[in-house]
Amino acid sequence: SSIFGPRQVTGLLGGSVTVKCFYPRTNVNRHDRKYWCKESTRQCATVISSNGYIAQDFAGRATITDFPEQGIFIMELSKLGLKDIGFYKCGIGLNDRGLSFEVKLDVSQDWEIYPTDNIQKELSAFLVLLSWLYKGTIKKKKKRRSYAVMHGSLTQYRTVQQTVPCDIRQKYMMLCAVIYPTVQCMWGGLVHNDAGLKSMVKVSRAMVEQDILNWSPKVPEGAELYYKELGGSVTMNCVFGTQYASVRKYLCKMGKTGCSTVIDTYGNVNPTYKGRALLSPQETPGSFVIYMTQLRKEDSGLYLCGVGEYGETVDFPKKHMSPFVSPETAVPQGRHTINGVIGGSVSVECRYDPRRNYTLKYLCKWRKNGCTQLITNLIMMIDSYEGRIVMHDNPKNGTFTIIMNQLVAEDAGYYWCMTDGDVERKSSKELKIIDGQPGLTGLKEVNAVIGTRVTLSCSYPCKYYSYQKYWCKWNNRGCKPLVSYEQNQTSPAVNCDEENKTLYLTFNQVTQTNQGWYWCGVSHSGHYGETMAVFLRVNGGEPKNLPQGKNSQNLDPAIGSGKRADFPADSSSPRYCEDPCRYRGEGPAREQPLRIPEPDLLLPQISIKSHEHTRVLHICSFSSSQEHDNSKVILSVLIPIAVVCLLLGTVFVVVKFKLLKRTELVSVGSYRTNISMSEFDNPRELGAKENAGINNSQETQIGGVDEFVTVPANTESAEEPKVVKR
Amino acid sequence: MKTSLLLWGVLAVFLGATLVAGYFEDDEKEEHTLVDNKCKCVKVTSSFVASKDNPEEKVLERNIRVIIPLKARQNISDPTSPLRTTFVYRMTELCKKCDPVEVELNDRVVTAEQSNTCKSSDTCYTYDRNKCYTTTLPFSYGGKTTAIQAALTPESCYPD
Repeated sequence: SSIFGPRQVTGLLGGSVTVKCFYPRTNVNRHDRKYWCKESTRQCATVISSNGYIAQDFAGRATITDFPEQGIFIMELSKLGLKDIGFYKCGIGLNDRGLSFEVKLDVSQDWEIYPTDNIQKELSAFLVLLSWLYKGTIKKKKKRRSYAVMHGSLTQYRTVQQTVPCDIRQKYMMLCAVIYPTVQCMWGGLVHNDAGLKSMVKVSRAMVEQDILNWSPKVPEGAELYYKELGGSVTMNCVFGTQYASVRKYLCKMGKTGCSTVIDTYGNVNPTYKGRALLSPQETPGSFVIYMTQLRKEDSGLYLCGVGEYGETVDFPKKHMSPFVSPETAVPQGRHTINGVIGGSVSVECRYDPRRNYTLKYLCKWRKNGCTQLITNLIMMIDSYEGRIVMHDNPKNGTFTIIMNQLVAEDAGYYWCMTDGDVERKSSKELKIIDGQPGLTGLKEVNAVIGTRVTLSCSYPCKYYSYQKYWCKWNNRGCKPLVSYEQNQTSPAVNCDEENKTLYLTFNQVTQTNQGWYWCGVSHSGHYGETMAVFLRVNGGEPKNLPQGKNSQNLDPAIGSGKRADFPADSSSPRYCEDPCRYRGEGPAREQPLRIPEPDLLLPQISIKSHEHTRVLHICSFSSSQEHDNSKVILSVLIPIAVVCLLLGTVFVVVKFKLLKRTELVSVGSYRTNISMSEFDNPRELGAKENAGINNSQETQIGGVDEFVTVPANTESAEEPKVVKR
Repeated sequence: MKTSLLLWGVLAVFLGATLVAGYFEDDEKEEHTLVDNKCKCVKVTSSFVASKDNPEEKVLERNIRVIIPLKARQNISDPTSPLRTTFVYRMTELCKKCDPVEVELNDRVVTAEQSNTCKSSDTCYTYDRNKCYTTTLPFSYGGKTTAIQAALTPESCYPD
């Protein structure tokens, strides 16, 4: 079930307890009834529900509050009594329909503990016997024992904690023996069991002082619960004292055989979490934060974050966390592994929730001690990435794309898309450098003299034929697309040569301000593809600029506004290489036919749309001279293929129907069927809703005439008498 | 006396390695969901369990859970249609994966269905919680009868 809550809650007698249950944030769940019921042998009796019902035993003690925007509802039960102990369920909808989570409520008995007089007996130079008296009954549970926690504070050394088990000697006495350390210190003793800390005794070496303090009882801390979506991410904060700044910090997952390390500050990462988990130190030393992305169902469970080593005798502070991965709502994934070639480029798409706004979005590269920011949506990035990286944000779709080119081998690794905000959508991608050549080729550095005519060229392969191509000028805020293709004085012209498959950027009279990085790139239906960077260096001549008026084009970075350059996703924009390339509509068919979701489609579809496109297709695959005969060749090849496919298709259909008949006879032995046919008092429970009195309540009769029948019937009855009369 | 207490002290030191951690027991049983059909209310899961003959071995066990709504109408969107008396469950149809899935082809990510014959319309026996079901009722007032829409599943019919 997709409801999640704490498995066990403990409250004190007379106290109160709060239970928080999570549910998937769908539209139905936000409006549906939330309930809290107590389990019994027959059914689960409602204690309190969001519709306003409250059981008599709990009147005035229980409250239920729903927070639909956050996907949680909270129940609070106060004035706990012993008869409240039992199993409860928090859920949505109707009581016994399974959309619930079981919670065990325990009320701990009250008991007192206080130190006896003359409790310390100095037995030797280093042995001390402490004893406490207790009133009440200590339930001896299997895993929990009463013990004393000795904790001392040293002025020179760090805080140390040691637990020593206690021996319940007589009915009311607890004896614990401790050995003094070899250094001078003050020791104190705390005794606590399930009910929590009860009493503290401060003992000194000289055994003279005796401070008796009574602590208020504390309920043991439960685990912090996280409710996350499948494929989503979780952020876990672990705050420890500053004295642990240089100690090893870790996160481990509880299992049957102990706690297995997931990630720690020494660089150890469990293989199942490689690339998915990140441990990052916080500003205050001793605290750290853990990010986990691409959450799977198996990630649900109990985790422990701590410092030092798990299971050490010296008790370092720990924290329990329990992320629950909800299978109902899933985050769209995108690609996790991206392949790039040396010198080529990659584009990383990071998705977020378009309905919410995030102030900060960035990409960072995972390193051993954290994640270094490469580029953010606000502005800058680190200098070593100059000319290489660009971010495009599309708030409508909820994606931000980062394009990185001029790849080198060291770029391989894990990159994290991070967003802030409470509904986080962090994801990690792995960039792998593989063998191969970049698709876009051309001169990477061009030197030019001021005032001369310069052309930057970018050659693309066949596979980018149907893509939209562009040139843009890079600056540290983005890449401004270069628009015009008319040749005038100041702005460069974008030209596309289809025969040579090259994209040109021509400057009629190049100026000093034209110096910089220019990117040639391809994009397809709003997704950015490959890019290539060219650096234009302008030398010589007078450093005089052209008059201001002519330079007022948006190419000049000094005058250009600080606006981000956003590529519109529609194809009707004049910014792309459209007119010069005579590019129209969708491209020709690809080499392999795609299985498009169409019903009853048995034959693979090879779509060849028009004569023009066949010509385009053949420029890539055959030589360009065979323009005229190609249509005939196509037909002569296509017709026999179609005949063969038809034959195969009919055979397939016949076989399939035979198969259909046969597969109904499934061997029952291999399945364990559990068919429950049940009648329910209220058919609504199964969703088979029915308004029993529908015939009566369908219409309100005002006027009293028999207007029971529906409108079409009325016309019929009106016509009939006419027929009869005839 | 002192030596016995000394030994007792030494024992205490050895016992000093006890910890508090009372951890919750994990549900180790991993169930893999094969079919979760909300329309016909069928859930098929599979898991590895110890075999009855040989407890050491693990066998794949499939659990099929079918909940039959006996008071459902033949057309769930029309409460005036007669009661449904025939319920047909075909494993081959139920096991088809018809939800679109993202598939990577070279550089592009495409959304496609994994099965061939996926019929988009299917007769449902019960209501899917996430869908809104309405019916039109003739409503007559003052001699005029208009058709109005009424929600059969009110919780699901709230606008986003």
